[in-house]
Amino acid sequence: MTRPAVILVGADKGGVGKTTVARTLIDYFGAHQTPTRAFDTETPRGTLKRFHPDLTEVVDVTSVSDQMKIFDTLGSADARVTVIDVRAGLLSSTLQALTDIGFLESAKKGQITFAVFHILGSSIASLQEIAETARVVGEANYFLVKNFINNTTFFEWDPATYNSYFKKIKGAEEITIPKLNEMAYEQVELASVPFVSFIGNKGAKGESANNSFVLRGYVRHWLGNVWGEFDRVKLVDLISPKIESNIRQVAG
Amino acid sequence: MAFRSSITIVASPRPRVGKTLLARLVTGFHLHEGRLVAAFDLNAGEGTLLQFLPEQTTSASVRDTSGQMALFDHLVAHEDTTKIIDLGHESFEPFFSIAHKIGFVEEACRRAIAVAILFIITPDQTSVEAYRRLRDRFARTTLAPVHNEILGPAQYRDRYPLTIGGAGIVHMPALAPGLRRYIDRPPFSFADPNLGEVSGMSVDAHSELQRWLRRIFLEFRELDLRILLADLRSAIQFGSGT
Repeated sequence: MTRPAVILVGADKGGVGKTTVARTLIDYFGAHQTPTRAFDTETPRGTLKRFHPDLTEVVDVTSVSDQMKIFDTLGSADARVTVIDVRAGLLSSTLQALTDIGFLESAKKGQITFAVFHILGSSIASLQEIAETARVVGEANYFLVKNFINNTTFFEWDPATYNSYFKKIKGAEEITIPKLNEMAYEQVELASVPFVSFIGNKGAKGESANNSFVLRGYVRHWLGNVWGEFDRVKLVDLISPKIESNIRQVAG
Repeated sequence: MAFRSSITIVASPRPRVGKTLLARLVTGFHLHEGRLVAAFDLNAGEGTLLQFLPEQTTSASVRDTSGQMALFDHLVAHEDTTKIIDLGHESFEPFFSIAHKIGFVEEACRRAIAVAILFIITPDQTSVEAYRRLRDRFARTTLAPVHNEILGPAQYRDRYPLTIGGAGIVHMPALAPGLRRYIDRPPFSFADPNLGEVSGMSVDAHSELQRWLRRIFLEFRELDLRILLADLRSAIQFGSGT
């Protein structure tokens, strides 16, 4: 049986592009024919759901009933991968909740694949988040994501300072999301469709759209680079390993 | 070019090598053949394609995204029109960088549009390197080196290897001395059958110009056939023929 995978996308700071990264992940797994579901924790109305309405459910990750909805169904859901877009400011508390319910322990035992995509902001406060988060994540696959998508002068940190935080997390890997042409980004936002649909010139219901070929080209090139980063960290290999134990028991 | 929609890009990273004259000749050729032509001028200053062919030409730019959309979206639009680009040397690198990034040639091929680059060859290393990069980046185009004979003998032609299955060198013969002053003044058009009279040319000068034009148009007809052949090969190789 295939081990279910949970990917937490979050940051303790708003406006750093969590949902954008979550969208690229959903597209990436879709391209690899990996059944995926997503939870958007921006209640009551989630941005991620706007782009992937069929795959996404809006939940309140701090409520027990919604935690059950997510984690008790890991073994029974058709989806192999669960992507959780964590609302700004909730990453640390969500990780703490996962510790409390024993989820992180299951991940440590290898019964669940667990990965954290920690989206970094431009300020030094973001670096301090790394240290705080590192304390909780333990054995999770930890990815520090530098998101340049809408800001070219994003990272002006002192490399030595950054590295001192980065090294605090054992096995952490760095992912860089490159800048996307502003007009292309805006048009995808307006279209409210997955990146792959925009590239394929499709609307929300699969109908033909009339997107600019130039903007589609920019998005295709950009998404190719993002997926190149996911390939580099062997994301597909990460979610593919099999396990022998009964996953329902774990989820229960 | 004659058999389905085509885009011809006249290019060189060097200034003053005859790009606009070549673009005017290519445009004149297609108009002479009775085709609908849309030309795009990526030049600044005097003596531009826009000044010679204002009815067919649109000023274009790749400096910002809006300009890129106006140009490339128009280029790949489904139209029964032959498109010609006069690529100023300053736009050379940005144009081809963007074209590569957005997959312009692949999209054109997908839409059954043949793309040809007419590259005016010169002995400098910048041009040799630029040509090599075009070969690497745009394998699905017909990359045709053009020898503008007014620039002197092409003893450096071996630095411009021909593309596999692509076009050979296109020769642009030097115009007889004294005729240049007629053709370099707008609104001279190579497609206008009465232009000799309009320009106040002597009969001899007009005849000489016609001979020169015939030689060049013959080169373009051969190029048309080579592009068709390359296009067919590409369609078979990549399985994207229509």
